[in-house]
Amino acid sequence: MGNIVTHRVAVTGMGVVSAIGRSVAEFRDSLFAGRSGVGPITLFDPATLPTRIAAEVKWDGDVMRDRKVTFACAAAAAAMADAMQGGTRPAGGGGLSLGLGLELFSMDDLAARRRGEPAPAGARERLLFLQTPSDLCVSLLSRRFELCEPPSTHVSACAAGTDAIGSAFRMIATGRRRWMLAGGADSMINPLGVAGFCSIGATSTANDDPPRASRPFDLRRSGFVLGEGAGMLILERLDDARARGAEVHAEISGYGASFDAHGISEPHPEGRGAFQAMSRALQEARTDPGEIDCINAHGTATPKNDPVETRAIKRLLGARAHAVPVCATKSMIGHLIAASGAVEAIAAIVGMKASMLHPTINLDQPDPACDLDYVPRAARPHSQRCVLSNSFAFGGQNASIVLRRADA
Amino acid sequence: MTLDFARAGAVVTGTGAADDASDATPFLRLRKLRKFMGRQDDLAVAAAGRALQSAALTAPLGERCGLYLAVGYIPFEADDMERLIEASLDGERFSMTRFAANAFSAINPLLTFRVLPNMPAFHVSLNFDVQGPYVVSYPGPGQFYCVLEDALAALESGAIDIALVGAVADQRNVLVEHHFSRIAPAVEASRLANGAAFLVIERAVDATARGAITRARLADYRLIYSPVDPFAADPPFECLAVDGACVGGGRQFGPASLGMAMAGTVRGWLTHRLHTRDGFDAESAWEIS
Repeated sequence: MGNIVTHRVAVTGMGVVSAIGRSVAEFRDSLFAGRSGVGPITLFDPATLPTRIAAEVKWDGDVMRDRKVTFACAAAAAAMADAMQGGTRPAGGGGLSLGLGLELFSMDDLAARRRGEPAPAGARERLLFLQTPSDLCVSLLSRRFELCEPPSTHVSACAAGTDAIGSAFRMIATGRRRWMLAGGADSMINPLGVAGFCSIGATSTANDDPPRASRPFDLRRSGFVLGEGAGMLILERLDDARARGAEVHAEISGYGASFDAHGISEPHPEGRGAFQAMSRALQEARTDPGEIDCINAHGTATPKNDPVETRAIKRLLGARAHAVPVCATKSMIGHLIAASGAVEAIAAIVGMKASMLHPTINLDQPDPACDLDYVPRAARPHSQRCVLSNSFAFGGQNASIVLRRADA
Repeated sequence: MTLDFARAGAVVTGTGAADDASDATPFLRLRKLRKFMGRQDDLAVAAAGRALQSAALTAPLGERCGLYLAVGYIPFEADDMERLIEASLDGERFSMTRFAANAFSAINPLLTFRVLPNMPAFHVSLNFDVQGPYVVSYPGPGQFYCVLEDALAALESGAIDIALVGAVADQRNVLVEHHFSRIAPAVEASRLANGAAFLVIERAVDATARGAITRARLADYRLIYSPVDPFAADPPFECLAVDGACVGGGRQFGPASLGMAMAGTVRGWLTHRLHTRDGFDAESAWEIS
């Protein structure tokens, strides 16, 4: 048994902020060109930290102290504008489903606090002092876009963006909401964020050649590269979208989530949880594994993730596994943590719309344990009706969604 | 929002809570992972274990059990923060060079795992072998109602047979106390409490079949969400949360407030009210048996 899907769910708006594009068009062109957004960290001086590279967003507008809030607002505004191109707003009351990044405190503020300097007096400044509460983003978005349904926030780390979209899909599909603003936003490119990931040995230290550092499924991969950004989508009932004449970019037809219940930082060796998440998403979508035309992989480039994800895909697709392309967007934009699933869903949708597969760049020497078709180096034409997008988190939370081409 | 136990055919068959005096040790499947557990993880495992005991359920719970958890603001202990800044100062100013050279090596790698908001869910899933779907939400009292809605929908659809619905709040630490001191109106640290609580919810037909006892019934509820300006100098709310009458001393348990109140009520009626700074206005009435 699965969830009771009574409404088809359309994606009618998309907005993205990433290191390789601050609009969907720029992002799409960069993806198909195989452009890396990774470079030396400029947001702060990483000094002698083991990792000194990241995929930073080149942002020339105003920026809030917590960059992810800026990115979320920008991506949401773009998604809303996209959805309202015909001049009408989605029907009924809207809600928010947001994958949130970790809130970290500012070391400068901590030093000021230690010096005995008083906290700022103004309400705004006081709320941003030492640490910006992540849920502030929820209030800003809900207020700005008049979203009056209770907001869903998701903090399942690297799976949060996919969970946010999956959760929003399910709310609409089961008739609990009419339309949703859904996605994720994150930026952990700050001293504590980078140092925290370094301390657990998760990030690549290939500082000498940043564009080549993120190498999913390659034998020489050495960990992920941090990215930052946001991806936001407007989801609504397909019938509503058609009735108001909105462009339907794609449909979401299934969502699956699971726990590994295994290791704190290592996936189940057989990819049990990953398999369960993908299977549940397909089951809800009433889709046979044989219908999958492409998989947007979690593909972090960590030694442990990539072979396990490969194993889970092989179990899911069986003999067809070698015939289904698997793309790793993180090879270009790095790992956006709570935003990754949302931005990668947009990558999958633009690929479906253009009948193109974006490449997994830097895959020069495949790991023998990763022996699928990962679309190495260059983009290629490929018609896709149905795409699976994966996100797997530290702590064993796994999420997958099924995306369908609008006319499929 | 729909919290329709009747439509889902669902009942509460277990409740459990934990506070600072609680011990998760009896519920740990792999004690070697204890070193990864922060206070919020301890609280969550202890509360989940007690709720499962109350429901007469034991691990492994497997694929047919889902976990729906609201987690409070990210905790950080004063000692950890002090060590970080002490090693990073050049005079009185933060120095990135000193941070990279000194503080980085002073960071306990385990610290990362102890503060992440998805870790309580990990530890509950591991210790009770929960392999079903999940929602991990954040950070206020209103979010508990959101995860409860998701749990009921999953039960109604048949996607799961058992829902572990809970909340955890580790609030007596420097970072969370700082947060509550800067909002308006500020919340005194002495009013903040640590706590976790879980409900076990299952379909009535399943509960009856295995002879489980109904522990609680939702009689009525209302929930309104009105987005507020987070930067407003004078927010239109008087208080962060009003707990059920059985929670004494006006202590605030964040997202765990309803669960703590339910677990602390032996029999009778419980009314839980929220009027939160982030826009939730809710009231629910429960019959506890």
